Amino acid sequence: MKRRLLFKTALLLTCGAFLWIAATTDAPPPPLEPLPYADAGLTEREAAAHLLNRFTYGARPGDVDRVVEMGLERWLDRQLKADFSDKKLNKKLDPFQALDLSVTEIAETYPAPFTVLRMAAREGGMAREELQGMEQQERRRTIRQYMEDNGLRPQRDLIAELIGHKILRAADSENQLAEVMTDFWFNHFNVSLQDNQARGYVLAYERDAIRPHALGSFRAMLGATAKHPAMLLYLDNAQSTSPEGTATTMDTRLKPYEEKGGLGGRIARRQIREGRERMQREQQEAMQDIPQEFRPRRGINENYARELMELHTLGVDGGYTQQDVEEVARAFTGWSVVPPGERGERARKRMDKRGERMGFVIEEAFLFRADAHDATEKTILGETFPAGGGIDEGERVLDIVAAHPSTARHLAQKLAARFVSDNPLEELVDELAEVFSSTMGDLPAVVRAMAYSPHFWNEESIGAKVKSPFELAISALRALDAEVRPTRELVEWIDKMGQPLYRYQAPTGFPDEASHWINAGALLNRMNFGLQLATGKIDGAHFDLLALNGHREPETIEEALTTYVPLLLPERDAAETTALLLPMATDPGLEDKLNASTDDQPAGDMNRPDDLAGLEDARTLGDDFSPNNPASLARTVGVILGSPEFQRR
Amino acid sequence: MTTRRAFLKTGGLGLIAIGLGGSPMFLNRTARAAAAPALFKRRKILVTLFQRGAMDGLMAVTPFTDPHLQRLRPRLAMTAANAAGDEALIDLDGRFGLHPALRAFAPYFDEGRLAIVHGVGSPDTTRSHFDAQDYMETGTPGRKGTASGWLNRAVGLMGHDATPFQSVALTPSLPRALYGEAAALAISNLDDFDMEGAGAMGGPTTGQSLEALYQQTSQDLLRGTGGDTFEAMRVLESVRKQAYRPANGARYPNSPLGTSLRQIAQLIKADVGLEVAFAESSGWDTHVQQGTVRGSFAQRATDLSQAVTAFWTDLGPLQDDVTFMTMTEFGRTVAENGSGGTDHGRGSCLFVLGNTVDGGRVHGTVPELTPEHLEDRRDLPVTTDFRAVFSEVAGKHLGIAHDDMLFPGWEGGRLPLLKG
Repeated sequence: MKRRLLFKTALLLTCGAFLWIAATTDAPPPPLEPLPYADAGLTEREAAAHLLNRFTYGARPGDVDRVVEMGLERWLDRQLKADFSDKKLNKKLDPFQALDLSVTEIAETYPAPFTVLRMAAREGGMAREELQGMEQQERRRTIRQYMEDNGLRPQRDLIAELIGHKILRAADSENQLAEVMTDFWFNHFNVSLQDNQARGYVLAYERDAIRPHALGSFRAMLGATAKHPAMLLYLDNAQSTSPEGTATTMDTRLKPYEEKGGLGGRIARRQIREGRERMQREQQEAMQDIPQEFRPRRGINENYARELMELHTLGVDGGYTQQDVEEVARAFTGWSVVPPGERGERARKRMDKRGERMGFVIEEAFLFRADAHDATEKTILGETFPAGGGIDEGERVLDIVAAHPSTARHLAQKLAARFVSDNPLEELVDELAEVFSSTMGDLPAVVRAMAYSPHFWNEESIGAKVKSPFELAISALRALDAEVRPTRELVEWIDKMGQPLYRYQAPTGFPDEASHWINAGALLNRMNFGLQLATGKIDGAHFDLLALNGHREPETIEEALTTYVPLLLPERDAAETTALLLPMATDPGLEDKLNASTDDQPAGDMNRPDDLAGLEDARTLGDDFSPNNPASLARTVGVILGSPEFQRR
Repeated sequence: MTTRRAFLKTGGLGLIAIGLGGSPMFLNRTARAAAAPALFKRRKILVTLFQRGAMDGLMAVTPFTDPHLQRLRPRLAMTAANAAGDEALIDLDGRFGLHPALRAFAPYFDEGRLAIVHGVGSPDTTRSHFDAQDYMETGTPGRKGTASGWLNRAVGLMGHDATPFQSVALTPSLPRALYGEAAALAISNLDDFDMEGAGAMGGPTTGQSLEALYQQTSQDLLRGTGGDTFEAMRVLESVRKQAYRPANGARYPNSPLGTSLRQIAQLIKADVGLEVAFAESSGWDTHVQQGTVRGSFAQRATDLSQAVTAFWTDLGPLQDDVTFMTMTEFGRTVAENGSGGTDHGRGSCLFVLGNTVDGGRVHGTVPELTPEHLEDRRDLPVTTDFRAVFSEVAGKHLGIAHDDMLFPGWEGGRLPLLKG
């Protein structure tokens, strides 16, 4: 907490100074080049709505007006800089404790259940199995006590913060584009909570490797993901080592000392021998802590190398060979993780001048193991890497792939698919790839170029994207101007609609196309979500439907429709939706039917993993979150939220 | 999206008529569909069960004549002979014995409808549950980037018209095996497939308003899927109308697996176009107090055999259309550990049940359990690639010819298991 306060104070001071300068110079911001929406036949308001659909999680009431008033260009410019104040959001994020901890502190404070078990067993002088074999209640009590005594917190609290924080930011942040881009890039560099090893690092991964770069430099983000424990564990690079008998960086670095003549040489050789023995001994000791089946063996693991090229950069047809995969894997051998706890502390203490000379590197939780890096010669994508390299080889690979034209195209394609349409035009992809290359992967420049491209404003691209379940949920909450709490129920709904947050198992991330999201089961859940949300049956959202309409209750359902369709679907041609719903309004017995069918069927028992247990379960709170919205109006709004129009953006 | 429209022509028809309510739009479409020639041909159904946590294949199907077993598993090994009734393994062929909790499988084995494949596993030697399950579900050992799951590819390769119920997972989220381009349904409870007010008779309801909206929307995918959704809902509504009564005296255990298999049987009988079903059972990670006749393994095995037997009994004559197959990510150590359990190993066994199965045999290879025959001198070696079994079962039963597309990069051959 202290650290955050300090940080905030520093920020305030800086901002203050900045404001002061800005105020004294008093120059109006330079005019910006106009966005080309008029050529596509759009009005300014329609264009504002389109911008909001693409670069935010959906328009809140009044957002179109606000964007028009600020000027579309200025609004976009500020979104790209992410310089809106987020006071309200930050207040809500204040109770989130893990956000203030370093990656190592998180790993140590929120250990995985199997780690806790091991530590508790050791403290009690038992074998892991002995504790595991205890009667359940006794075991739980022992573990709880151990955690309390040692200031540990259950990992599910960490997961709850991760998910809660995503929902709050998406719903409430003024810097919406930064949130949308964070989501996009997390999905691009996907890691999964399903992976036990990576799970405890996912929060720090998003916070440290993705978010700071989502509107920054692609190369910087690529480097941050490559070195992050979450990625190193999820794609197994942490255990990728040079095969037995291959010269390592450490061997190469020690060679001159070993070959020295005279007394100095003899002393050096003895020190080296002792050093190696000590290392082996410590490694063996460490192994004793690891169940046999998880003990790493020496050898190369290609998973990261392959996905780095196939998914993160070049793309599947990006022009690399299996040979390249193997050589890249060799270049990344030794890129590993500082283990949490004692072993990590020991490793950090040892990182002295000698460690550096041998080629070891520690940066936060990233560990470069010079003793595990294959230092023989490599050829990667046609370039030679001479023998004797160390950590620089991985960095050089990242430089090469980040600057590769295939990467520019691959990423341009993905960005266009996210922000324009599932099948973007080749010309648009070419334009964006060009900007990506010429700016060396400056992401705001690419997004700006997209918004200034006529293809972005094409008739075909308006409303062309089907919202993901997360986008749908958040856009509904925003449209209702809801006060949001990240409850377990809300998360379960998003899951049911087909997007288990942070749980997509494959490194591809969720496929960003309508055909993935829309199937009979998912669509039904989307409609039900709209209905249940609007009728106040999903806890975690507090809203006042009448307030959206200036506290005026529509007198007929017809009036409700003609008022709320444009409120929830601003600037959309909603005549069709309204017309189709009118029969509903003209049925004389409807009000009675609606009022009679107050069926409070709970959301199905979803049998989720324990992880979600850390989230608030509003169903058990008996809270004040049931707003007093008129039933028939709520039902009408539910139908609008469940309508096909609302599924699109 | 022409494929989805075939829903009307296939199984849905009869049932939909019951749940029609007052939707004229729907009547028209039904009439159109009824006029079309009957293209409907009974389809085969593959039901798969993932035993998560890695089942101890050596305990499920024990090579009880192996002289090393008693030494390696002093607390876990059982014998087939000289033990009183229920306490003994069921001797299958003089070499392998079925765990007593799986007793219910024995008649199927004797009738030649149940095949066991032993020593099955992945060529990738990972002993991490996550990785091994991932590899088994993608069908590409060692490659995490494969976007689709093998069952989804199987559905795609069948290449014919389908209903929204073509592939269904009775799980809260879509399993990795069903990731991919073909539409797949994850549904933990058929009762969830409902909308408030959707089925009410007379007057427009919320559901009917939404249905009208989806019928008219200009977005093709939303229109097509919207239609499917409402149809599917009506079908399930009629399926649910009466409390489900399993046939032939079948009794499902009151467990998640029992519920999953019962609902799969319900879908099969409702004839809604199901072709690939996926269920899972957990708790097979028996590191501690695995037990013999009683204990954590026996509990899981009892649930498994009761659920599967109930399912199979319930199907009755529909058994001819169904093949059932289990899978698990790896096996467990040959030797027991310090706490009466077993740790992560390599090869395990799986069960294939069906009327066309070449059953009554333990397929595959289990060597003598001496260190030099074991993988890493400790684990039952993987002698049959799981893909050799999956491609055989899915290939023969569902009529898929392209093993190279079902399992990209795999060059092995199928293990003959199904007749014809």
